[in-house]
Amino acid sequence: CRADTGAKEPYFWNPRTHEFLGRTASSWGLILLFYLVFYIFLGGMFILTMYVMLLTLDDYKPTYQDRLATPGMMIRPRSEAMEILYNPQDTESWDRYTEALDIFLAPYNNSVQVQNNDDCLPDNYFIQEDSGEVRNNPKRSCQFNRTSLDACSGIIDRTYGYQTGQPCVLIKLNRVIGMLPGKDGQSPYVTCGAKKEDADAIGELAFYPPNGTFNLMYFPYYGKKAQVNYSQPLVAVKFLNISVNTDVNVECKINSNTLTTGGERDKFAGRVSFKLRITSSNN
Amino acid sequence: MIKNVVLQTTHFFYEKKITKSIFYLQDSYNMFEMDGEGKWNAAYIPFIVPFTIGQFLQDDHEITIEELEMRYTTSVTKGLTSRMASEVLERDGPNELLPPKGTPEYIKFARQLAGGLQCLMWVAAVICFIAFGIEFSRGTLGCFDDLYLAITLITVVVVTGCFGYYQEFKSTNIIASFKNLVPQVKIWKYRKCMVISVCILGQLEANLGLYLGGCWESEPQSKTPECTHENPLETKNIAFFSTTCLEGVATGTVINTGDRTIIGRIASLASGVGNEKTPIAIEIEHFVDIIAGLAIFFGFTFFVVAMFIGYAFLEAMIFFMAIVVAYVPEGLLATVTVCLSLTAKRLARKNCVVKNLEAVETLGSTSVICSDKTGTLTQNRMTVAHLWFDNVIHAADTTEDQSGQSFDQSSETWRSLARVAALCNRAIFKPNQESLPIPSRIVVGDASETALLKFTELTIGNTMEYRERFKKVVEVPFNSTNKFQVIHELEDPLDLRYLLVMKGAPERILERCSTILIKGQELPLDEQWREAFQTAYMDLGGLGERVLGFCHIYMNEKEFPRGYKFESEEMNFPTSGLCFAGLISMIDPPRATVPDAVMKCRTAGIRVVMVTGDHPITARAIAANVGIISEGSETIEDIAARKRIPVEQVNKRDARACVINGGQLKDMSSEELDEALRSHPEMVFARTSPQQKLIIVESCQRLGSIVAVTGDGVNDSPALKKADIGIAMGIAGSDAAKNAADMILLDDNFASIVTGVEQGRLIFDNLKKSIAYTLTKNIPELTPYLIYITVSVPLPLGCITILFIELATDIFPSVSLAYEKAESDIMHLKPRNPRKDRLVNEALAVYSYFQIGAIQSFAGFTDYFTAMAQEGWYPLLCVGLRSQWENVHLQDLQDSYGQEWTYAQRLYQEYTCYTVFFVSIEICQISDVLIRKTRRLSVFQQGFFRNKVLVSAIVFQLLLGNLLCYCPGMPNIFNFMPIRVQWWFVPVPYGILIFVYDEIRKLGVRRYPGSWWDQELYY
Repeated sequence: CRADTGAKEPYFWNPRTHEFLGRTASSWGLILLFYLVFYIFLGGMFILTMYVMLLTLDDYKPTYQDRLATPGMMIRPRSEAMEILYNPQDTESWDRYTEALDIFLAPYNNSVQVQNNDDCLPDNYFIQEDSGEVRNNPKRSCQFNRTSLDACSGIIDRTYGYQTGQPCVLIKLNRVIGMLPGKDGQSPYVTCGAKKEDADAIGELAFYPPNGTFNLMYFPYYGKKAQVNYSQPLVAVKFLNISVNTDVNVECKINSNTLTTGGERDKFAGRVSFKLRITSSNN
Repeated sequence: MIKNVVLQTTHFFYEKKITKSIFYLQDSYNMFEMDGEGKWNAAYIPFIVPFTIGQFLQDDHEITIEELEMRYTTSVTKGLTSRMASEVLERDGPNELLPPKGTPEYIKFARQLAGGLQCLMWVAAVICFIAFGIEFSRGTLGCFDDLYLAITLITVVVVTGCFGYYQEFKSTNIIASFKNLVPQVKIWKYRKCMVISVCILGQLEANLGLYLGGCWESEPQSKTPECTHENPLETKNIAFFSTTCLEGVATGTVINTGDRTIIGRIASLASGVGNEKTPIAIEIEHFVDIIAGLAIFFGFTFFVVAMFIGYAFLEAMIFFMAIVVAYVPEGLLATVTVCLSLTAKRLARKNCVVKNLEAVETLGSTSVICSDKTGTLTQNRMTVAHLWFDNVIHAADTTEDQSGQSFDQSSETWRSLARVAALCNRAIFKPNQESLPIPSRIVVGDASETALLKFTELTIGNTMEYRERFKKVVEVPFNSTNKFQVIHELEDPLDLRYLLVMKGAPERILERCSTILIKGQELPLDEQWREAFQTAYMDLGGLGERVLGFCHIYMNEKEFPRGYKFESEEMNFPTSGLCFAGLISMIDPPRATVPDAVMKCRTAGIRVVMVTGDHPITARAIAANVGIISEGSETIEDIAARKRIPVEQVNKRDARACVINGGQLKDMSSEELDEALRSHPEMVFARTSPQQKLIIVESCQRLGSIVAVTGDGVNDSPALKKADIGIAMGIAGSDAAKNAADMILLDDNFASIVTGVEQGRLIFDNLKKSIAYTLTKNIPELTPYLIYITVSVPLPLGCITILFIELATDIFPSVSLAYEKAESDIMHLKPRNPRKDRLVNEALAVYSYFQIGAIQSFAGFTDYFTAMAQEGWYPLLCVGLRSQWENVHLQDLQDSYGQEWTYAQRLYQEYTCYTVFFVSIEICQISDVLIRKTRRLSVFQQGFFRNKVLVSAIVFQLLLGNLLCYCPGMPNIFNFMPIRVQWWFVPVPYGILIFVYDEIRKLGVRRYPGSWWDQELYY
């Protein structure tokens, strides 16, 4: 080994030269000052570029919507595992679902809707374009009255059918700015079905509003800044005679002449799957 | 013929074991007798057994024959009894060299998989597997990403391991492939000649001797039965395994067989473990340790930070793993290997075969070259250099290709001298070589006769035919060097006189002369002419040349009429009163390229030390000739002679040059040798034994030099092994030397070493650039994780993407830097100081990490935030978004515009970020590779497009980047998304910043050398 085995100078603190980690105080000062200036400059450049970038953004509409070609779908009440499991006899087991739905539907109360939103012309897009540079803000939204959910509105049946073993599940379509979900005046509608093996168990379904449509008048969406009081349209599915004590895997999807359901990878684009199991102890 | 006596015996031994050796040898002796070719007084050669290389505990060479017989219970006349022989065979095994115990291949491969960085990768892979296992059992979506990553990591380790193994395999196999490149005649002979160590006993006529040539020494050594030296390696009565008998015959007793012979010991020594690490290996190891240490440090710190912030243990472990993956430069070792092997290939084209890749760089840091003389510095063929006739010394053309000046050949004396030289010569050309140039034709005869034959062939033409015109009557071969006489008839049939020609040692020839030929006139040889002769003889001898005298006489036709019966035994013809024709002196001339090469070494701060077995005067003459001793340099003896004072009074420091012979060296202590090497920059060691070479090498190393040693003999191999870089001769070298060496010179030419040095220095510079380039991107790979963990933004860069940068897109550009031309004349700089000039120094790491790396990180984040913001996620929203963003159950997460995103949409957005960050790093790395072209010069001075490989590497990098981004299927396989074209341009300002900033840095470094700026920012 040719390594010099001579006396090694202490590296951490060298009392002879007053060097800390191989540098004197002034040397450290100088190099730290250099890096301070360097990073201030870099940070400044970063902030400048970010600022310029943010200036180019439109406050009302994202520059690109590359990922949002197909809107996502979601159910209410929702749980982590996309499961609705309860026992009609056991109030505790479904109480949380109805509470969740109560909270979720509160903004849809007719009184709120009438106060904030317009009564629009159904089956037509509610277009409110800006005229050139002049913003047409705030934009109005259409009323989605809770009563239009009928049996699932929670007004007639405050338990949303959970107590009778005919539960309601609300389906919502993710908001995407500028999305036009149907053409030729045809509104998109939701259909639900069971996975093959559960086909017999699902029983009859009822959709509210009728046919499970998301009316075109709720589209397009203009973003939360322009359209502050936007009410997302909902579709309620009521399971009228679903088999008890069995897992029923339900898949609902949007049917539209402009939207396609997402690819294999995204299980929530234009469709939604969940498991429903009603346990019953007395039969 | 007598040749290969030992060879035959060996061959026999090799196949039929020890039993019948004696008989065979006696047979071979008898064969000689029958051959009747020479009148050799051969003694017996019973063979005997052992002595060791280390202490040479045996004194076989010193004891008497009787004692020897006792020791080995043998008889020098009858040999071993067959019963004894079989016992010996039983005890010692067959006389074969066992193949060196190489490392088994699987261990070599395993070693490639278990380096410092590889171990870290294994740990990372294991963490991935654990994470996968846990997540899988929980049924988490996306848990397969961890599995893929684990598999990718293992693949990376295994593939780079295979690559490293392949490179190693290839470089060890270069030696095999090289064997097919060089003429194999000689080597074939050596390999066949598995001679046993022999002790020569009995009566050998001294002047015949047993010449053993080849492996041990580049020149044949005569062997005699007397013990001439206490060291068995020096004494003349031991013949060694693997030497070839060129001439003569002897009887001996086998004293060692197989692995117990010297070569056997050297071979096992050389193949043994104690391989000294090359400087570059030390550098890289040092560097890898630091990197691995830092990776673990960073990983652990952020593991703790993550735990502290409140992440789950598993998540924290994954962070640890990710940081390791991000920080470890996976592609670095491959890059270094490729750079080195590229240079090795380049060197192979220039006749340097590098066995050990790392030796390429070692060569560049060489500060002392200990060179052989014969064959390396010289052409390894005696050539007529000077002639003295008409009282003038004429210089002959000694160049290899006869491109030099010739002398005036008009004198009558020259014609006589040439005639004597042509006739008084037994050497002949081997047939069928007419197409070859004269200097490279093969001649049968000794060195000086060969030289004379070629000389006469070149000057007067067709010597063979010329000799036929003078019919040879009688030949008196006293001794080829001392005296040789031939009597010829004259070519003119009318002239019935006989011509006697004689050559030999000049003083002995002169003794027999009474006249001297001057300008064709025979003048009486008076004192004046004798003095002139003496001066010329001294002058030529002082040039280190071997001088021969030539004389002739036309015999009186009355006294010696046609048909006179000349008797070579009785000498019934005149042997005195002859006419002196002239002197011809010969030397093994230096190769034409050597003086230039030595000069280059000098300017490059490399000392060339000549170590030769030759005579000091010859050694010195050649040293002065090639510039090892420069013009005007004096030795102590020169100064003493000039000042007319005793040698002791000369201040040793005044003498630049020093010639030390082996005898003096033996009496010197190692301190004295160190002192001598320190105080005299120009050193020549003459009359040294190969063992002393080792001492010299060690002394140089003690002085802190990196030493390159050339050698060809078997006993050079310890020195070759000891040297930092051993250089074996491809043509003259023995297998043992080649095995021990790190590099082989195919053309045995010293100038090739200098080429090697240049390439070695260049690769050191370029490796620095390459490593700086490779290291830089570790920071923009690491910072995303740091920001991700601390600020909880969605992950900007994924592990698989990092691996793509490390192992796909950036490999070619980093390798292309190996093709970069030198910035300045690297052969005008001092060799690097291995302790101070590190491959990866602080400045390089700091500049790459904290400056260029930092800029790249900012570029990446700018692009990342741009891509996020333009898709709807404002920077401030991103902060702290992580837990929601990564919540697989959250299918309607709101962005800054109120739009709702499913998990998969967010995941693809994250992949977009990976790709965008990847693209940013790529764009900045293009700028980085451009700035790394130079460390000091402006890129404009170096030329943008001069390095074509680099340009194509950039194009390749861009194409590969585009392929990864836009090839269908990439999102789901490798997490690359087809990104918007605009995002390619977001990092461009930062790329420009990198370029401009580095130009400013270089400008400062150039303008203000030694300034603070230079010290802190020059790497």
